[in-house]
Amino acid sequence: MLQLDAKNLLVEDAFLEAFDTDYVPATLDRIITDFDFTTYHISTPESKEKLLFSINIKCWNDLVKYGVFQILKDKYDELIILTEPEAGWNFSLYVDLTQFKLANNENKKELASRLSLLKSHCFSAPFYKAFNRHDILAAEGPVDPNNIYGEDISTVTEEVFVLNYRDSEVIYIKPSNDRVTVIFSTVFRDETDKVFSKVFLQEFSDARKRSIQTAPQVINSHREPPLEIRNLTSNPFNETTGEEKTYITFVLFPRHFSSVDVRWNTIQHIQLFRSYFHYHIKIVKCFLHQRMRYRVSEFMKVLNRARQDSIDEEKERKTVSGRRFELRS
Amino acid sequence: MSQTLRPYLTAVRFSLNAALCVENFSSQIVERHNYPEVENKKTKEILLNPLVISRNENEHVLIEPSINSVRISIKIKQSDEIEHILVDKFTRFLTKRAENFLILRRAPIKGYDISFLLTNYHNEIMMKHKLVDFIIEFMEDVDKEISEMKLFLNSRARFVAEAYLSVFD
Repeated sequence: MLQLDAKNLLVEDAFLEAFDTDYVPATLDRIITDFDFTTYHISTPESKEKLLFSINIKCWNDLVKYGVFQILKDKYDELIILTEPEAGWNFSLYVDLTQFKLANNENKKELASRLSLLKSHCFSAPFYKAFNRHDILAAEGPVDPNNIYGEDISTVTEEVFVLNYRDSEVIYIKPSNDRVTVIFSTVFRDETDKVFSKVFLQEFSDARKRSIQTAPQVINSHREPPLEIRNLTSNPFNETTGEEKTYITFVLFPRHFSSVDVRWNTIQHIQLFRSYFHYHIKIVKCFLHQRMRYRVSEFMKVLNRARQDSIDEEKERKTVSGRRFELRS
Repeated sequence: MSQTLRPYLTAVRFSLNAALCVENFSSQIVERHNYPEVENKKTKEILLNPLVISRNENEHVLIEPSINSVRISIKIKQSDEIEHILVDKFTRFLTKRAENFLILRRAPIKGYDISFLLTNYHNEIMMKHKLVDFIIEFMEDVDKEISEMKLFLNSRARFVAEAYLSVFD
């Protein structure tokens, strides 16, 4: 599994099962987890035919600021969205199974996959907002063709969208008239991970130069926050926990959000960056471990070759009278 | 094989051959005890002069002979942070399996990455020239393995980065 899927497989399965024609309504109470401390809750509080689907996201308050409700309303307009979400959860909607009894398979599949993308849709709010803001800025001040170095000329006053999606890890999104900058800050608890991350990030930065010209530009900096967000991060080094942050900047160019589909693809993909990055560091450690295991067994073989042959010979011997005895090595 | 590696390994091989001249020797301090004198270091007269063979400042071997045991400590080349981590992981992996490895010392000597302890017992159950072969092969392979792992890490990182970025368009 090289790419991480934006959908949550368990959520999708749960709904596909429920939409199935020979589904026997049952009492459900499931809690499903996802990346970045997101949890889903599927339950049947009222009747067995009405599924309550709730989500809890760590940075919900930030998302509300960037208009998450509007996006969710558009996405799930045929479902009943609760104005007062389930206690302890950020957002709830009702899926009435009787309502989908007649729908054909295609629709059911589509709805299940849409429901499984709830987290992505929630996180897409600030990105959409940034892209829209970019459109306005681009209309107001078209890109200066003489600005050959591609310097960011937008004023410092432009709002930076901040998502505190994990403890002490943040996504910053800054729109500008010719680009949208997405900055991830991440923390490595493990010393080895930190060193490996440097190798990975170097490759992320180089990949664009080497082969994939259409990809967004990736810039990484260790400890030092990028200029865009320097005024937001007062102290790059967290003294209480001794954690050092790594900043990864993605520069999205207009081609990455030119149409609705491309926008959605970019959003969906970029929000999984942190998970993808950390996940692959773990994988590479796993591969190295496998190699070491193999190598150690090879060494064992060489060492065993050094043993004297007499040990391999048959250990059991007989005396003249026919008694058996064993040789101890 | 590079120019300097060959004489380095040859020197180690000959020194080991000379050092592995061990015999059974009971402790002179405690009755009915018999332990590797090189670890104990209580009876000075049966310890021989330790010997360091170095290829450069980052790679050297320490051979400490005594009457009934020889301790060999190896410092593996670590040219950067990544190699340092890889060596550390690899030697830890090995020492955790010391049980099966008979001659491996559970903890390396200070300043070295990995240590072997050969006693007269090992010399009895194993053939001496093959033991020496093992040490030499180990030294060769460890370097190779570390650099291969490093290359693997880099190529994997590149592959992962390209896979991620190619989805954008």
